[in-house]
Amino acid sequence: MVDIIVVGAGIAGLTASIKACDKGANVSLISSDYSERSQSVMAMGGINAALNTKGENDSTDQHFTDTLNGGCKINNEKAVEMLTSDAPQIIDWLERIGTSFSRDENGNVDMRNFGGQKKKRTVYAGSRTGKQIVSSLVSLCRKRETEGKIKRFVGYRFLSLIFTDENECCGINCIHEDTQELRSFIGDAVIIATGGYNSLFGKILGSTQNDGFATAKLFTQGVRLANLEMVQYHPTTVKTPQKRMFITEAARGEGGKLFVMKDGKPWYFMKDFYPELADLMPRDVVSRSIFKVSDGGKKDVYLDLTHLDEYTVKVKLDEVYEICEKYLNLNPLKTPIPIFPAVHYFMGGIQTDENHKTNIKGLYAAGECSCQYHGANRLGGNSLLGTVHGGWISAENAVLEKPKGNVINSIDEELESFKSYAPKDKSLQDTLSEISQIMNDSLGIYRNEGDLMAALDRLDNLDTNVNAKYYDYLKVKLLVILSKASILSALERKESRGAHQRTDYPESDDRYKKSICAMYDDENIVIE
Amino acid sequence: MKVKIKIDDNYQIFDYEGDLNISVITLLEKLDWPIEYSCSCLQGICGACAMVINSEPKLACKTFLNEEKTVIEDNQITIEPLSKFPLIKDLKVDRSILFDAMTECELWLENDSEYNPKDLDFEYEMSLCLMCGCCTEVCPNYKLGDFVGAPATVSASKLVNQESDEEHLKNMKKNIKKGFFHIVLNQFPVKMSVPWKSQPKEQFQK
Repeated sequence: MVDIIVVGAGIAGLTASIKACDKGANVSLISSDYSERSQSVMAMGGINAALNTKGENDSTDQHFTDTLNGGCKINNEKAVEMLTSDAPQIIDWLERIGTSFSRDENGNVDMRNFGGQKKKRTVYAGSRTGKQIVSSLVSLCRKRETEGKIKRFVGYRFLSLIFTDENECCGINCIHEDTQELRSFIGDAVIIATGGYNSLFGKILGSTQNDGFATAKLFTQGVRLANLEMVQYHPTTVKTPQKRMFITEAARGEGGKLFVMKDGKPWYFMKDFYPELADLMPRDVVSRSIFKVSDGGKKDVYLDLTHLDEYTVKVKLDEVYEICEKYLNLNPLKTPIPIFPAVHYFMGGIQTDENHKTNIKGLYAAGECSCQYHGANRLGGNSLLGTVHGGWISAENAVLEKPKGNVINSIDEELESFKSYAPKDKSLQDTLSEISQIMNDSLGIYRNEGDLMAALDRLDNLDTNVNAKYYDYLKVKLLVILSKASILSALERKESRGAHQRTDYPESDDRYKKSICAMYDDENIVIE
Repeated sequence: MKVKIKIDDNYQIFDYEGDLNISVITLLEKLDWPIEYSCSCLQGICGACAMVINSEPKLACKTFLNEEKTVIEDNQITIEPLSKFPLIKDLKVDRSILFDAMTECELWLENDSEYNPKDLDFEYEMSLCLMCGCCTEVCPNYKLGDFVGAPATVSASKLVNQESDEEHLKNMKKNIKKGFFHIVLNQFPVKMSVPWKSQPKEQFQK
């Protein structure tokens, strides 16, 4: 019997756990909270699959091509090929396990338009697609739990990987958030599904739970990261007293249009800039267009839904309607929504191959934390697809692992570190804010060498000795390392491609038609 | 304004001067005191930050100071942890019993889901439950005993539509009958307090 350890209980972690035990493994599923609290439930718009039920002659080949073009051709082609050809099977599976997808008049799962794709290819469940998928996966996981095949450990935060003397990954050390209990989990393989590194940029659109600790710690333990400079800015986000929230791309898929006031009249600029796809260009292009027409944020840009019918806005886009009503006190049927781009998704992260293997034997990554599908820019609807696919593929491969070496028990090392840690006076929140300020200042929609070098300097001089619990104390130090690796990656890519736009290197350069990788060697960040 | 927070069975008073167009969760971040609470999405989708605000269970990320009567009239607000669950610390509670109840009621599908067009909207809506625990706070039947509460019943009401395995369907219905309807009987006294738009009472009665 194979023992698999899965870290993270969002869609990728749940899928990995279910698929691993379907292949005969025992699974330990470790997460900081229940799946209902994961960032996956926040995914609104949909999940892509070329089902070709709309009479538009769609195909998995076109999905493949659109994904590569959207990613500016630095995606892992083999991985994208598997992703796009497996997509229809994934929708079928999700449907069979009880996901309540919206249907069309023929009873087929409905599909809508999304950015970067000319065909209706985005399957959706109202505007709560992620929540609906989580709900069906949780039910299935519950069944496997009762059968004794999946054991859930809720409340634990990942601390570090455990290796064998043959340098294979065979487990993890964790800490319980409430009791501070340190605990090791040993198995045959580990699948990391901990999401994006949101905390680097502060209170961004996603969950506060996805803090980047695991990615940063893995990096310091020898795991290769890739394309850290590729940070997606979602074009249509709104400023609320709470935080920035995004207005799903489905709003444009359903006919919403962007405009800015020009000569006293609304100018629907996307149609002029890009006559064919207009408002449905890929996100990086739309974000840059907004930045341009707003003169870098000086003029207001609006998303106009006022011409759409009530059913579309109140039912098909119910979440959009609710955000506008609750947080903006605005009725989108009557008033255009003021929007601006903000950090939304990380295309970069733990580098994995098409089988979701990392450079460490026995270690896999799936979901937003892993980097292979999306290249320089992710298409809307490909993240939910990638997260289910990644969970599935990583599980199928992880169950074949059997470490050869002997386990090096590192819990004593963790205990020693825990006992000797000495929190200082500096405020945790202030320090996290300083990090996010530095990152937002330097890794915006447009970057340049001067700002990036200044960011490195500020990070070097940052006092990280905070007054916090052990986990947060370690996190601050790790996030600084991950921030530096991101900045160094951005410096290394001396070109403009997708989400990475350099004002000092405004053109794309074929010498960089590749991943920029980061390794941690003897406490030095090495960029390749 | 005065912010009254229940910590370890006592109320601690904090002073807050600043913008009132902020949510309770932002208020907690702004207080110069490390208060423990749960949060994740900060926009009313994940249910983590449920707490009792001015005697009503609510999501702290969707409750704004300038919409609270006590803030407008008396310049104060009272924040307490949900009272039906074991307290972890400050405003953080252990809601694992909600999830355990769903396992005990065998809430899953044995067969592939059945698709019935007329039930789709209902199933979609029942999947929106946040598992926040707000409904249990106001439920006089919910005392951490055998009563499973509305969350398990909401989930079951979707799954019994989708399940075609007769034996398992029978078990789910039996478990819900025992854990919910047997205790609620015909009274259904609770005005459901859920932060999502559905009113489960009407749905359960179908």
